[in-house]
Amino acid sequence: MQGPLIDSLARQGVTRRTFMKYCATLASMMALPPAAGRAMAEAMAAAPAATKRPSVIWLPFQECTGCTESITRSHSPTLEGLIFDAISLDYQETLMAAAGHQAEEALHAAMKENDGKYLLIVDGSIPLGLDGAYSCIAGKSNLETLKEVAKGAFAIVAMGSCAAFGGIPKANPNPTGAVSVSDIIKDKPIINIPGCPPIPVVMTGVLAHFLTFGSLPEMDNKGRPKAFYGETIHDRCYRRPFYDQGKFAKTFDDEGARNGWCLFELGCKGPVTYNACATVKWNGGTSWPVESGHGCLGCSEPDFWDAGGFYKALSMPADPLKFVSTAAVVGAVAGVAVSFANRGKKGAAKSAHETTTLADLEK
Amino acid sequence: MPLDAIPVVVINTSENSLAADSGLTGNAPVLLREIAALAQRLLASDESSAIDLRALPLTPADLDWLRETLGQGQVVATLDAEGESTLSETVCPGVWWVTHHNEQGAVASEFIEVTYVPELLKAHPDDVKIGLEHLELLISDLS
Repeated sequence: MQGPLIDSLARQGVTRRTFMKYCATLASMMALPPAAGRAMAEAMAAAPAATKRPSVIWLPFQECTGCTESITRSHSPTLEGLIFDAISLDYQETLMAAAGHQAEEALHAAMKENDGKYLLIVDGSIPLGLDGAYSCIAGKSNLETLKEVAKGAFAIVAMGSCAAFGGIPKANPNPTGAVSVSDIIKDKPIINIPGCPPIPVVMTGVLAHFLTFGSLPEMDNKGRPKAFYGETIHDRCYRRPFYDQGKFAKTFDDEGARNGWCLFELGCKGPVTYNACATVKWNGGTSWPVESGHGCLGCSEPDFWDAGGFYKALSMPADPLKFVSTAAVVGAVAGVAVSFANRGKKGAAKSAHETTTLADLEK
Repeated sequence: MPLDAIPVVVINTSENSLAADSGLTGNAPVLLREIAALAQRLLASDESSAIDLRALPLTPADLDWLRETLGQGQVVATLDAEGESTLSETVCPGVWWVTHHNEQGAVASEFIEVTYVPELLKAHPDDVKIGLEHLELLISDLS
């Protein structure tokens, strides 16, 4: 295992063993078999050194800056950070020192110099209402800017659920007419990295993939890299065995909750949410929502905000007659029971309190 | 908002309820058979293998059970690389418990490796060359 990357890492004081450890952990996060860690290490180490760092332009649209906050909390200086040094971030409004005309000049200079070669990262959705007047930068609507900058990009990364799927701005009734990047740009490869916000290492992992294989990662039918979004939260959840045994927490402070049982009945969206939280975790691997006792909100799935209430259990369609097999009928009946239980809870809450704000918020 | 508007209900407050459920799921014992199969493969074909413990549905209690059952062998190696890593042989020689911590001290990944010596412990020839150069430098300084 030798090559330019190992040499450049060595110059920055990163040893071969540190690099191998990083690759082993990355392979685990990417849900690859353990042996893949070594293969990745070898391929990444042998990757030819780029003569010039690839240019990256980052456009923020209708967003909350949470995605940028997430990326910058990527615990520097780590190996991911060092690999991030392999790119040239030429335009990022939140991070760059320049402002106003200077910033716009930097953008256009980077676009001109790297035409057809730069990577475009977008966070935030694009509002189409009122001719895009809801969000403008330098006198141009986000729609105009996206079309202009996307033209010379070799690929686009839609960072976060807003850029990937429209996100919270698109939530009913979508007052600004927000849409995703892929709703507008049809002629460029688009990699969706959804999440509210996305996991920092997923971004650097996609970058590592570029270095390893020299191509875009394999993507699922929603344009997400399969390496990180290939399995559901539920598939790799440490509480999964309790689901299999039918042990569920019924409230947030009952015996089941204290024993760490499955949060399915409290509305966990883990079974239908593709993301890597269960393995990568958050805040430098400290914990993640399910570990802290709260179900998954499903933030990396399209329209998660309108998916029917965060605290309502996912349930089978309430029409058991449609199902032929006994197992499906049993499942459906369980689903009906759960949805009845929810309705019952809501009813009870309504009758117990005059102002049922919390119950009303729950759709 | 009145306090009782918060929809959190305490159903069982007895201290004993925690001890009633150990958190064991029964998923750990089956791993012993897999480890045995991997050890047979190592003997038969010299092929090393690993199990990614993060990829399996194991609760913290399951992991503790497995760690305790496999026991602690004679060798423990510590690697200081962007956080501490420990590679320790279990009472079954050739079966290693490998834990990688990140700089914050949290477990970043955890494996069981079935191999004579974990790859991470071996020195790479290129690194040996660098070490040799350093040695020669030390020797030349003597004179």
